[in-house]
Amino acid sequence: MATMEIRSARKTYGTLCVLEDINLSIGDGEFIVLVGPSGCGKSTLLRMIAGLEEISAGEIRIEDRVVNDLPPKARDIAMVFQSYALYPHMNVADNMSYSLRLRKADKPTIADKVRDASAKLGLGALLERKPKALSGGQRQRVAMGRAIVRQPKAFLFDEPLSNLDARLREQMRAEIRKLHRALGATSIYVTHDQVEAMTLADRIVAMHGGHIQQVGTPLELYDRPANLFVAGFIGSPGMNFVEGAVELGTFVMRDGTRLPLPEGMPETLGGATLGIRPEHVTLGEGLAAEVELVEPTGHGIILHLRLAGAVFRVLTTDRRWLTPGDQVQVGLPAGALHLFDESEQRVAPAPHPQQ
Amino acid sequence: MSDSVLHHVAPDRYRRPLRQRVASVIEPWLYCAPVLVIIVAVMFVPLVLGVSYAFRDIQLLNPFSGGFVGLDHFRALGQDDAFFRALRNTLWWTGASVFLQLGFGLILALLLNVPFAGRGLAQALVFLPWAVPTFLAGLNWAWLFNPVIGPLPHWMTALGLMDEPSNILADPSIAMWGPIIAAVWWGIPFFAITLLAALQSIPKDLYEAASIDGASPWQQFRSITLPFLAPVIAITVLLRTVWVANFADLIIVMTNGGPADRTQTVASYIFTQAFKRLDFGYASAVALVLLALLLAYSMVILVLRQRLSDRDK
Ligand SMILES: Nc1ncnc2c1ncn2[C@@H]1O[C@H](COP(=O)(O)OP(=O)(O)O)[C@@H](O)[C@H]1O
Ligand SMILES: [Mg+2]
Repeated sequence: MATMEIRSARKTYGTLCVLEDINLSIGDGEFIVLVGPSGCGKSTLLRMIAGLEEISAGEIRIEDRVVNDLPPKARDIAMVFQSYALYPHMNVADNMSYSLRLRKADKPTIADKVRDASAKLGLGALLERKPKALSGGQRQRVAMGRAIVRQPKAFLFDEPLSNLDARLREQMRAEIRKLHRALGATSIYVTHDQVEAMTLADRIVAMHGGHIQQVGTPLELYDRPANLFVAGFIGSPGMNFVEGAVELGTFVMRDGTRLPLPEGMPETLGGATLGIRPEHVTLGEGLAAEVELVEPTGHGIILHLRLAGAVFRVLTTDRRWLTPGDQVQVGLPAGALHLFDESEQRVAPAPHPQQ
Repeated sequence: MSDSVLHHVAPDRYRRPLRQRVASVIEPWLYCAPVLVIIVAVMFVPLVLGVSYAFRDIQLLNPFSGGFVGLDHFRALGQDDAFFRALRNTLWWTGASVFLQLGFGLILALLLNVPFAGRGLAQALVFLPWAVPTFLAGLNWAWLFNPVIGPLPHWMTALGLMDEPSNILADPSIAMWGPIIAAVWWGIPFFAITLLAALQSIPKDLYEAASIDGASPWQQFRSITLPFLAPVIAITVLLRTVWVANFADLIIVMTNGGPADRTQTVASYIFTQAFKRLDFGYASAVALVLLALLLAYSMVILVLRQRLSDRDK
């Protein structure tokens, strides 16, 4: 268990700058999720913490010790790879005990720890098997087991669930969460899947284009996204956006449609973007819209509407019989609106959704 | 209903005339015939002829030879000290050549597997010795070892390895090293290239996982690289052993088996018997023994490999 501190960290490959000015403090036992689209530098940051990539500038500390120049094995961290990276010529028990054997732990201790870890992960019956004789889910567990037996200061995960099918992913997600609660170790988890991020994280670090966009609890990111990128990335289906301007306290869309804004919003703002989550749009009274597409999800329906020249998605559990071409009226509650300025940053105090 | 159909068809087939039945049996063989004829002509005829020589008295300079002599050649072989010396030399020559080729080839492959500027060029250059005809390689090395025209003896003297510049190919106690060095130089690319291909197929994240687990480079080599390379090493060593044991060119060109038969291997002995003494019968008998020994060796290796991979499962 450990605290971590990343200060002004940078990563460059030649002239290409992949990560810029990364600052982050991680508390003891915290579960941090790095989330962002593919190629935004999440893995690179994780690998810099692990010691697999050099740190071009800045500083990374683990428990107040600068680790910039320490090799991976001196950092006392464990990592679970996306490909699992199990040693193919060793059986499950040997895979899990490899690090202990390298450190010359005595046989009974090794046996104890392997037994403990395999019991936690339900691998007891598979200890003699080679990785190639395991299913994807079992391999994933072995990779976790290999990390657990070491009792490291911190766990690093690089998209550990992305090679599993949806059902298994859901199940493993819950298990990782339970495991974290049981072990209490500081964890950094990389994923491109915002659902994983929301469900696992104590705090989410949203990244884009080599920069940290926002750090906060899942609900903070969901309720008060700091900029357009976070607003669009977190939540599924994604937030609806309309462009326009604020005049005299009301939002004026490109086609002239006017929408009242809640208290505390600026009186005038040229070039603004208004956002609202699909689940906050109400069907009933308000602006006229036309149904373009109906997607049933079982739990409810996702309606694609054309409203004021833009496509709007509405999530409703109301099983109304709608078909494309139907006319509906939608309400955009003032309390659920998010406003972003020209530089795509959030403006105005945090509105709280009314529902 | 299917019964009645069967009853209709079956007697019908048996009633076909003999000629048709024979034709239908022969037909597939006719299609294969061209290939079969070529295989028999190219592979079996020379093999059978060669084997048959071992049991006949065939000497090119003796017009009365050619008769069947049974196992006489093999009896003579049992008494032939030169043959047994050649057998010992073959073991030494093959073992040292293959071992050193593997060792240097592995080191070279490991070096070429590390990214550096100009790696592509280096990889291409490594191929070069492989492209040199063995005959030329042999002559080259013979000249390099010759103190009159070659630099090596002078260098070795300067380094204190030799008292005075002399030709190691002429010194009976160390003459075998000459062809071995040439063979190693010539054979390293084979191992380097095959092992490099195998190295490049090892996933990089295994090494990353191992370095996080705390493995030193040497421990990573032992627990990841070697297990991955083992099957490739086994099969290439098998191939190379058979190939080097049969390989007489370098020895014939560089030392001709001398001095005092100290570099005579079974392969060069066969060559000497056949093309210097022109005793094809005896040469064939020796060749047959070598064939039997190499077959036995291959079988042992293959069985061992099978055992190992069975244990693996
Ligand atoms: N060795 C490298 N050389 C040059 N660019 C690299 C290298 N490794 C990664 N990158 C670049 O760094 C960026 C971030 O990569 P990565 O951290 O793997 O993204 P992700 O967020 O998908 O994990 C990508 O644009 C990638 O092309
Ligand atoms: Mg990645």
